[in-house]
Amino acid sequence: MKVFSLVPVFSFVILVLAQVLVFNHLHIFGSINPMFYLLFFFVYRFESNQTALIGLAFLLGFLIDFLSQSGGAHTVATLTIGFIRPLIIRYAFGVTMETPLSYFSDTRTPNKLIYLFLLVLLHHSLYFSLVYFSWDALSLILKNTLLTSIFSLILMGIALSFYPNKK
Amino acid sequence: MQRILIALLQFKNPILYLFLLGLSLSFASKRSSFHEYTLEKYGFFFSSKLYATRDKITRFIHLKQVNEQLLEENERLKTAALNSKDLLLYPTAMKTEKRFPFTVKKAHVLKNSFQNQRNFLTLDIGLKNGVKPEMGVISNNGILGVVHSVSENYANVISILHQDLKINVRTSQSPAFGSLVWSGKGPQEFKVEDIIVSNAHIAVGDTLITGGMSSYFPLGIPIGAISKLEKTEGSGYYSIEAQLFEDPSQIYYAYVIENMDFKEIQSLQKELPQ
Repeated sequence: MKVFSLVPVFSFVILVLAQVLVFNHLHIFGSINPMFYLLFFFVYRFESNQTALIGLAFLLGFLIDFLSQSGGAHTVATLTIGFIRPLIIRYAFGVTMETPLSYFSDTRTPNKLIYLFLLVLLHHSLYFSLVYFSWDALSLILKNTLLTSIFSLILMGIALSFYPNKK
Repeated sequence: MQRILIALLQFKNPILYLFLLGLSLSFASKRSSFHEYTLEKYGFFFSSKLYATRDKITRFIHLKQVNEQLLEENERLKTAALNSKDLLLYPTAMKTEKRFPFTVKKAHVLKNSFQNQRNFLTLDIGLKNGVKPEMGVISNNGILGVVHSVSENYANVISILHQDLKINVRTSQSPAFGSLVWSGKGPQEFKVEDIIVSNAHIAVGDTLITGGMSSYFPLGIPIGAISKLEKTEGSGYYSIEAQLFEDPSQIYYAYVIENMDFKEIQSLQKELPQ
């Protein structure tokens, strides 16, 4: 019998709470709130069920939206990331037999960085486009995407460095 | 059925994604009126294009019907406008009751000519509609002529572009009056003859209106404006050229004016010693 891993469930709950209770109130430079909950896409194993990931991503975004009284922007951005994650993985790690089972089992740092960058940039640009939802605010969207991405990446990098590099 | 299920299972991820995306977008639009408004705007952009095309087509189909309706409306408005005592153009002229009672009938111009020196028009109304000879015919912005002969369904009109037709005119500012005659050149170039100058202050640009001294046209229908003014040496007469407001050769809708007192006036004039 396959043992059901509780790691994603735990990280899911902890990430939602951390995002809603802590990271939504950071207000770095007045307005920047890094999106820490994207860490879920690293914790969730690469070869795991894709359909379940879509559902979980939707739930994740929905909970964040619901608890932080924002519109549907988190939901749409997270859901889309959940849907196109296989593409990002393929792009970042290449279609080889060495495609890693999880983020942590892979040792090649440049690939990890590409994966991280792509994920965060895509998610943030989607999120801010949906928040402003207007061509007039294009410069604002780009500015916010860039600045928030930097802080999200820093925070997630710090968090990931705590994880043991399992072999 | 099985194939459908297999296809559904094969595309379950995109289907699930699209379903949840729609769901979250609907949440977004429900939660924020700004998003709702913007989404509606995009929807409206496409639907309005569609409706605009449909509207263009239906409007084109109904064009003839609308033209008829407008003509009928114009007939009523023309009657009201000509009957009103204070027209914008010449408020003072209308103060006194100087006009005979009349009615207005709408008509289509079937044939129009301007190449000859003596031109005639044909209208699509006749005896049936109560048209009789010697009724005035006007257009939206001027006069067209006088009815010459009438058949059961048609009327023949002496055009204003006829060198023998003289229309009694005056200017809207001064009571000086004369006769308007076609110069025989362009369809809008006219002369004013037999002008009677009574200390008249006439200037280029003055509006010419019908003088109300004939039994064809009531007082105050605007015809044109004075374009050239020359006082001939040695005589008290002016040599006046006028430009019509509207090209009478390009008219397709006309209104026939019936003078209700025509018979009375005619019989009175017959009693005069010739």
